[in-house]
Amino acid sequence: MIIFKNVNKWFGSLHVLKDINLHIHPGEVVVVCGPSGSGKSTLIRCINQLEPIQKGEIYVDGIQVNKRSTNLTKIRSEIGFVFQQFNLYPHLTVLENVVLSPIKVKKVPRKEAEENALRLLERVGIPDKANDYPSQLSGGQCQRVAIARGLAMNPKVMLFDEPTSALDPEMIKEVLDVMVELAQEGMTMIVVTHEMGFARQVADRVFFMDEGQIVESNTPDEFFDHPEHERTKEFLSKIITHN
Amino acid sequence: MIAVYFKGLMHTFPLFLKGLWVTILVSGVSLLAGTLLGVICGILRTVKKWGISKIMGFYADYMRGVPFLVHIFIIYFILPEVGIQLDPFPAATIALTIYAGAYISEIVAAGILSVPKGQWEAATAYGLNPFQRLRYVIFPQAIRVILPPLVGEYVLLVKDSSIVSVIGLTDVTRVGWLTVQRIPEGLMVFGLVGILYFVVCYPMIHLSHYLEEKVSYESH
Repeated sequence: MIIFKNVNKWFGSLHVLKDINLHIHPGEVVVVCGPSGSGKSTLIRCINQLEPIQKGEIYVDGIQVNKRSTNLTKIRSEIGFVFQQFNLYPHLTVLENVVLSPIKVKKVPRKEAEENALRLLERVGIPDKANDYPSQLSGGQCQRVAIARGLAMNPKVMLFDEPTSALDPEMIKEVLDVMVELAQEGMTMIVVTHEMGFARQVADRVFFMDEGQIVESNTPDEFFDHPEHERTKEFLSKIITHN
Repeated sequence: MIAVYFKGLMHTFPLFLKGLWVTILVSGVSLLAGTLLGVICGILRTVKKWGISKIMGFYADYMRGVPFLVHIFIIYFILPEVGIQLDPFPAATIALTIYAGAYISEIVAAGILSVPKGQWEAATAYGLNPFQRLRYVIFPQAIRVILPPLVGEYVLLVKDSSIVSVIGLTDVTRVGWLTVQRIPEGLMVFGLVGILYFVVCYPMIHLSHYLEEKVSYESH
């Protein structure tokens, strides 16, 4: 589904991704964790080419995304992306936020797009907010709208970039619940997060990144109970004491 | 004596209205063309590729660095030296358009850049092409920042248009100059000219204030 081959990325002289190789299968849920600045956000932002890469190859569903001839718009419309800061469109209502891309990019008729959007808002638990503006919602509600906006494109994969990091603690659960449900329904997901409970519950694999490399990759049980690398142990001890 | 002058002034009032019409026409056409030019250049100003932004920046800086009076002399008196002859009206319109376009491009660029980066990223990640990103996501948000100073710029444009009288366009300022030669009561004549400008500009100033308030109160 998603393949990285020797992917390298630099920000100026800073080497942020170093020879990344990975293969994510359809239906798989992968959690990526690691200290800040380790390159985990950059990793998933490369998948839909929000960040260009300088070396290597990235394939999504068999199509190489880092090639000039690739129709990026089409690929992006098949990848849902949820941002840490939600990035909802503040000048549009919740419903308009969700239907914008289906109507403009996928050319879905408005009526059909709106019906689908209302179904999705129901699914994320906020059917009554369709006509509100993002500024009228809580952080947790905003993030659930953002998830609905991603799902509205009927994506093959959903990417989450620290979806709960900007939320007040009491709102984290409502967002995670939606994500757990999504994972259990078989959505392919890559989630950058420090929510280890979430990782244990639904992840098929957990990646630990440090200094631009995937240091460790394992099933959640192995990852948490028998971490192999020193850096992983150190990192886990920090976040576990914190939790 | 004053009464005689006043009577004479009232007699020439239709001329003032004609002049005012020329002022409105020359600034109206420049306003539309300048806005179009300014929006295009403002968008280009935000393109961080191939030095486009630098070229647009130089255009804006040049216009800011050269007095409008000199700018209009260049277009009206110097271009004919290289074979480009223009009548006063097109010369004045072109000069004002290029001039206003530079300032408007700054306003538009500042408005676009005021939209948070995350909005571009979301629009990009959700498959919108560059035109759609601007049209549906960035511009509707930027317009709130753009409109108040834009209307302010229109007021400046109407006032700056008085300078085109130097190349012989009979706008309301030039009507004033011509009248004062027959009715030597400067205060009265240019008082009238001032009032006529004010009548045009005052509603625009209010519109600008209104938009400013509207933008700051609306918070969704």
